[in-house]
Amino acid sequence: MTMPSDRLSGAVLFIFGLAMYFAIIPTFVEQAEGGNIAPNTLPNILSWMIAIGGAFLVLKPTPHQTQDLRYFARALMHGAILCAGIYAMTWFGFLYVAPVLALVIMVVIGERRMHWLALGAIGMPALIWIFITQILDRALP
Amino acid sequence: MKRRTLVGIAACAVMAMTAPLMAADWKPDGSLTMQIGFGAGGSTDTMGRVLAKVMEDQTGWNVIAENKTGGGGVAMFTGIAKMPPRGTVIGLGVNMPILVNLVRRGDELPFDLESFDYLGTISKAELALVAAADAPFDDLPGMIAHAKENANMPVAFGAPPQKLLMDVAARTTGAEFNMVTTEGGAESMKLVLGGQVLAAFSSGEHFPHAEAGTMKVIAAGNAQRLSYAPDAGTFVEAGVNAYVDPYFYLATTKGTDAEALAAISGAIENALASPEVIEIVNNAIKNDPLNLGPDGTKAMMVDGLANVGVLFAK
Amino acid sequence: MVELSTILAGFGDAFSLINLAYVLLGVVIGQFVGAVPGIGPVMAMAIAVPFTFALDPLPAIAFLIGVNKGGLVGGAVPAVLMNTPGTPDAAATALDGYPLAKSGKPLKATKMALFSSVTGDTFSDIVLITVSAPMAILALKMGPVEILALMIFAFSVLAGLVGNSLVKGIIAAALGLLFATIGSDPENYTPRLIFGMWDLYDGLPLASVAIGMLAISEILRRLSETGGKVEAAIDLIDTGNPDDRRVTWDEYWSCRYVMLRGAVTGTILGALPGIGSTAAAFMSYAFTKAASDDPQSFGKGNIKGIAAAESANSAVVGANLIPLLTLGIPGSVGAALIISAFMIHGLQPGPLLFENQGRLVYGLFGAMIMANFINLWVGQLGLRFWVKVVTAPISVIFSSAILMCIVGVSMATSGLFGVAVMLVFAGLGYLMASFGYSLVIFIIAFFLGPRLEISVAQSLALTNGDLSQILRYPVAVALLVMSVVAVAYLLWRNQAIQRLEQKDDANV
Repeated sequence: MTMPSDRLSGAVLFIFGLAMYFAIIPTFVEQAEGGNIAPNTLPNILSWMIAIGGAFLVLKPTPHQTQDLRYFARALMHGAILCAGIYAMTWFGFLYVAPVLALVIMVVIGERRMHWLALGAIGMPALIWIFITQILDRALP
Repeated sequence: MKRRTLVGIAACAVMAMTAPLMAADWKPDGSLTMQIGFGAGGSTDTMGRVLAKVMEDQTGWNVIAENKTGGGGVAMFTGIAKMPPRGTVIGLGVNMPILVNLVRRGDELPFDLESFDYLGTISKAELALVAAADAPFDDLPGMIAHAKENANMPVAFGAPPQKLLMDVAARTTGAEFNMVTTEGGAESMKLVLGGQVLAAFSSGEHFPHAEAGTMKVIAAGNAQRLSYAPDAGTFVEAGVNAYVDPYFYLATTKGTDAEALAAISGAIENALASPEVIEIVNNAIKNDPLNLGPDGTKAMMVDGLANVGVLFAK
Repeated sequence: MVELSTILAGFGDAFSLINLAYVLLGVVIGQFVGAVPGIGPVMAMAIAVPFTFALDPLPAIAFLIGVNKGGLVGGAVPAVLMNTPGTPDAAATALDGYPLAKSGKPLKATKMALFSSVTGDTFSDIVLITVSAPMAILALKMGPVEILALMIFAFSVLAGLVGNSLVKGIIAAALGLLFATIGSDPENYTPRLIFGMWDLYDGLPLASVAIGMLAISEILRRLSETGGKVEAAIDLIDTGNPDDRRVTWDEYWSCRYVMLRGAVTGTILGALPGIGSTAAAFMSYAFTKAASDDPQSFGKGNIKGIAAAESANSAVVGANLIPLLTLGIPGSVGAALIISAFMIHGLQPGPLLFENQGRLVYGLFGAMIMANFINLWVGQLGLRFWVKVVTAPISVIFSSAILMCIVGVSMATSGLFGVAVMLVFAGLGYLMASFGYSLVIFIIAFFLGPRLEISVAQSLALTNGDLSQILRYPVAVALLVMSVVAVAYLLWRNQAIQRLEQKDDANV
């Protein structure tokens, strides 16, 4: 990373703050009659704080360095696995998706030992199932 | 209290005997979830959880109570309106927040009154305007006179209909109130006791303070006077033409199988007749259970929408 | 005043075998579910309430109190052992608990959390039992204007946690407050920033935000850093020195002022409904760091950091019962559930409760004291179990933790919508941490945000929109002056700490 990361995050926050103030808050916050504090007062103040803070960081960044892009890519991959798993749950339910999700995460981390894989992919979902549906009497997602 | 309980039990026993026989063949596929549109620990939640437990004991179904908060039941009923009608999820809410939102922003809401099949009501909720026992007024006309003499009288409210009532009162009488928002009845009571506000709305949170003699009822927010404080006049009697009539009601997704509807509403009817439910309704809101039944509930909602439209339209 | 015979009869009722059994059961359940991310003591209590029906009032309420108290101890476990707090108040415990656990002393870290939690809890219970009536009157005198000033003070104390950039701290707080405005506005209840998703009308689900930001984002970070190596989640380093596996009396005693300060902070905030344990834990932590001779050691495994956070957040729970039992006003969802249990048994807490039900109230106090001892004892056993669990490989630990977070959040928010929100905040939390924005400040601001806006609205209503009227409220003025002093002092300290750290770096 050649650029201190504050320039990047500051710029994003600057744009975010302005977008909130000029576009998003006017569209998605209703006006109300009466009352002591209008619905948009606090969001507007906060948007400006964020925008000004972001601009300040662009101009005067701290030496903070973020981690290597490689890590972002890996985190993104794990996040994508989670999203896929939860999306699958909306179709097939926790009971079928959970073992697969757990197995995929474990394999991606690098786990190859069969007994740990079995514990994580079969043992834990089973334990959760017993605890939630049998003991607490609740439904799984 | 004791006499009222007995009357309640007797009334409900009669209702239970005349209730339609339960459609014994139907049972939910898996469990029956009762979604409660309010947070854990409030009076709606407490009554809902007891009702669910009694329904489970009486029917043998697995009845699960869970909280789904958001806008006084709007979020919960949104979810129910969008579900496939399988007869496995029912919602418990209060009519007022739903009706007020339908009147004010019906075009934005993903449901209307026709999106549901109605199952019944638990009871009517009574809304009181209360003040500290040593407040310099005893009734609503007195309070309005006080507010006119002393500008900016602070009044606490914890839900939209309460504010709307006071708005109408201010409009019709010309008195000015400083409306102090709170997170609910309990916080409103704290402000009354602490002397920060002179009056506040209560849907039962003032009972222990009234009993201790530190609070008094100023007015009834309902169409009729309050069952527990028949001496306090209503807003309408004081010349403020507004009232609210909140009901705790149950509904499910439109298009649910008729047999399932009959079985569930029958189970609710039977549970409401049980001593446990009568006792908790008495304890939570000082009122007896009142089930309008499926048709009565729907009629109550339709009439309520018309009333709210007249009273609270912008 | 309640007669002595009533008090003794009440305590006598409490110490029966059947009550002991229910309190024990409650504590065990509480500690267990408190340690499972996402479920937590409040949900355990909500599920348990209808089952207390069939019981007499005393065992029923004692059982729920046991669940609540056990949950406090359990909540610290994932925070300390895995840096994945399930509730925001445990996030303060993680600041020093996790570094200490990672350095091979997980038992010492969790035991310190247990001891300080029980200490803070016991302190607030004693305050409750002895002086709840005057405390409740004081709480009533703290009106909206004073509460607003107190919240401003709480925010100013956060300045002690901003780290190396004040601007980034302010941005984190502003983001937290901005996300807290999603839902509806506090006066007119208009939908605000919900983008047509009515599920958000009540605000972002708290469990989703807390667990996404604090637990899942941390798991994502750790997963991305394991390059194919499968290690144990925590190494138990056996140094041969038994003191590394326990808390010595000297260590405990050295934290006495820290715990006292934490317990007092927690008791005061707990007696005032609505502010909550998260603010108490972080304020206590910030005070302790600011008062320390060695502020650099915080965040690196200082047991005083653990003691500060746990004594404060546990003290809140006992103190929440002060307004509840004396006035019938619940200070938290947990307290509201205890009111439910009272209601189910035909009792309504309020000014007459001590008079009409004195025996039951003192029975309850007896049960609370009993629960504290049981908590300590069960905790000692339970911690060994959890420490053993986290010596399993990270592959199993993290995949299981993810499944439990999904289940817990979906139960807390009744559906997968809340889980989706959790994922969004996991992503946001990961990015914020990567770019050096404090998650802890974000979370505190997010949790205090709704209350802050309500307090502003209330204060404006009571002062006719003229905030200069605040000068007529002496307590509020004092708190505001303290806020200014605190910000100035803490920022000055921060600078000094940073200069020291830079010097250390230069020496290395």
